[in-house]
Amino acid sequence: MEMIGIIFSNIYDNAMADLTYNRTVASLPFGGRYRQIDFVLSNMVNSGISQIGIITKYNYQSLMDHLGSCSEWDLNSKNGGIYLLPPFVTGQAGVYRGKLEALHVALNFLSKRREEYVLLSDSTTICNIDYDPFLEEHIASGCDITVITHEFREEDKGAKHDLVLRADQSGTVTDMAVDLESEQEDYLIGMGMFLMKREQLIEVIKTSVARDLHHFEREFMLRGFRMGKLSVHASKFNGVVLRNESVSVFFKNNLRLAEEKVRKDIFRSDRPIYTKVRDEIPSFYGKDSEVNNCIIADGCKIEGKVENAVLFRDVKVKKGSVVTNCVLMQGTEIGENCTIDRVIMDKNVTVCNGVELKGATTSPIVIKKGETVE
Amino acid sequence: MARRKECIAMLLAGGQGSRLKVLTEETAKPAVPFGGKYRIIDFPLSNCVNSGIDTVGILTQYQPLELNEYVGNGQPWGLNRNFGGAHILPPYSRSKKSEWYKGTANAICQNIPFIERYDPEYVLVLSGDHIYKMDYAKMLSYHKAKKAECTIAVLDVPKEEASRFGIMTLNKNGSVKEFEEKPKKPKSTKASMGIYIFNWKSLREYLIADDEDETSSNDFGKNIIPKMLADKCKLFGYEFEGYWKDVGTIESLWEANMDLLLKEGDPNFLNLKDSKFKIYARNYAQPSSFIGASSDISNSFVAEGCDIRGKVENSVVFTGCVVEENAYIKDSVVMPNAIIRKGANVKYAIVGENAQIGINAKVGDLREYYDKKEWGIAVVGKDKQVEQNQTVAVNEIY
Repeated sequence: MEMIGIIFSNIYDNAMADLTYNRTVASLPFGGRYRQIDFVLSNMVNSGISQIGIITKYNYQSLMDHLGSCSEWDLNSKNGGIYLLPPFVTGQAGVYRGKLEALHVALNFLSKRREEYVLLSDSTTICNIDYDPFLEEHIASGCDITVITHEFREEDKGAKHDLVLRADQSGTVTDMAVDLESEQEDYLIGMGMFLMKREQLIEVIKTSVARDLHHFEREFMLRGFRMGKLSVHASKFNGVVLRNESVSVFFKNNLRLAEEKVRKDIFRSDRPIYTKVRDEIPSFYGKDSEVNNCIIADGCKIEGKVENAVLFRDVKVKKGSVVTNCVLMQGTEIGENCTIDRVIMDKNVTVCNGVELKGATTSPIVIKKGETVE
Repeated sequence: MARRKECIAMLLAGGQGSRLKVLTEETAKPAVPFGGKYRIIDFPLSNCVNSGIDTVGILTQYQPLELNEYVGNGQPWGLNRNFGGAHILPPYSRSKKSEWYKGTANAICQNIPFIERYDPEYVLVLSGDHIYKMDYAKMLSYHKAKKAECTIAVLDVPKEEASRFGIMTLNKNGSVKEFEEKPKKPKSTKASMGIYIFNWKSLREYLIADDEDETSSNDFGKNIIPKMLADKCKLFGYEFEGYWKDVGTIESLWEANMDLLLKEGDPNFLNLKDSKFKIYARNYAQPSSFIGASSDISNSFVAEGCDIRGKVENSVVFTGCVVEENAYIKDSVVMPNAIIRKGANVKYAIVGENAQIGINAKVGDLREYYDKKEWGIAVVGKDKQVEQNQTVAVNEIY
């Protein structure tokens, strides 16, 4: 494919509170066995993109650990692979403030490639997308940039959106707004995925650096669009899109994987989502276990009752415990006779016997990585 | 100085495993699925890696396609090395003669050039049809300490089973006094596990001599070991304690899977959850399993990528299986990507890879209802389809 990829790994870090205390939002665990970046990375690989730059800002050890040699994504090849792009921190410049500024570190990566197009993507959008038809549409449109969008949905009401657009029948964008909290349903919502020519992106980065511009959507797209210098195309993606932009949405989206339509759309055998292999054994369900409507990864040992929950790898739920509406990350251990409802437990949390915890759907309790709850 | 390896492993993986019937019609025995997400060959390969052996020659012959693909470059086991690593070694034709592997010893003999590339001091010979966890490094230290020429791993087996194995009597110091392959009247219960460590120099000589002997059946147990013993070589038995099972038959394959479900502490329990001795397997990008509201799972293993809405009891369900509403799986082994339709009953059975059990079909049955001689595990072969309402009887191979 005539396209390379760039992934932003730190966007929305702040919105995820304790969950991104010591990791990038890209390496935030999601859906039982994945990290968020697995989805965009697998989508790129499944679309034939084999050269991918990942822009990092800070806390990226967990991301590096997760990616390893990238063999799980078949990106450990000689003619391609992952290029980790950490910030230049020099005397003049500090750590970057926005996507546009962040792209500065990708200049070298971009100029050494020969593919004609670049796909830019956030790492918080969970979906299964084939980029091929979008590239074709972009080329056919003749526009400078294509935004991949989804339609306004019930769940988008009242949420703040980075980029909303209106387009005519042909997909040419006629109106654009940034950071909008919209109740209106005729907007298309940007998925944080953009297609453009590589050479053009290089130009944009160089000009922006010179003018101290750092916000991609506002200072490049909106500005260029207003001035009539940037033609923008909006392509519509019709599959399921989950966007983990806050803790409560992250919580809800994890549990939504139990919905058949959501699960079957995101996990397809023709375009698998790859992730780091952990060599866990299959999950064991004890004699008195009761598991209803759950997503369960490998290595779990369930002896209690679990309902409407996502259990990551190596989670233990002991006898007499009742776990409902929870997201339990890798290595969580729930003792005996606990009652846990609406809680997100980060990795390696231990809950002692008899503990009762109850959160709310809109604000689930979050237990930090490695904590012991007594 | 040329680079060399102290010890390399040669894994005999060419067996057809004809006693596994429909399960090995198109697959070599070592590639048969086991334990929810593994294949039999994962055990010797993981044992090697966990014992610090990073060079493994895998000798294939029968239906090697699936096994070759599975092993690949050895990456899942950490055996993708620049020097060493996993190598698939099929028989090949040479300028003077071409032949299939005639026996276990002949298979190694034909690969002398491969072994010599690593100039090893010791060669570990393994077979690809046993389920066990073993640190070969300990056996190697024993071999060195005894200054042995060959060390054979031995296991105490029940008396009534002893005639199925190569049986040894050992002297007090651990050296081998007598060795008999499948004796009618076994003199001891010490059985060879088919795991040998040889000093390469002396093994090489015996292999070449054996190859020139036209009356030999070119087998380790039948020829090489008895010959070495007759020549008064220093042969030692290395006593192994722990789980070991030959999964060469339908019953033993089923049983070994069931052993995973035993309680910790049971002498027949095989614990795979051991972070210091992991069993590695090739992974196939499957999502986490979905366990529906109508499901009822008890005392069972369920691997990833499954969609379970029926009842699963005392069973091992492998990667990517679908169990629909009101289906009932009891005391069974359901291999990767099998589909069990609504209302189907699967009891005391092995369902092969990609097999489909139709709506309300019946496969196998409980032991209690049958005469001991009639009853047996029901087997549905790989890729087979059991139609709606169809019955696969106890002991039937479908």
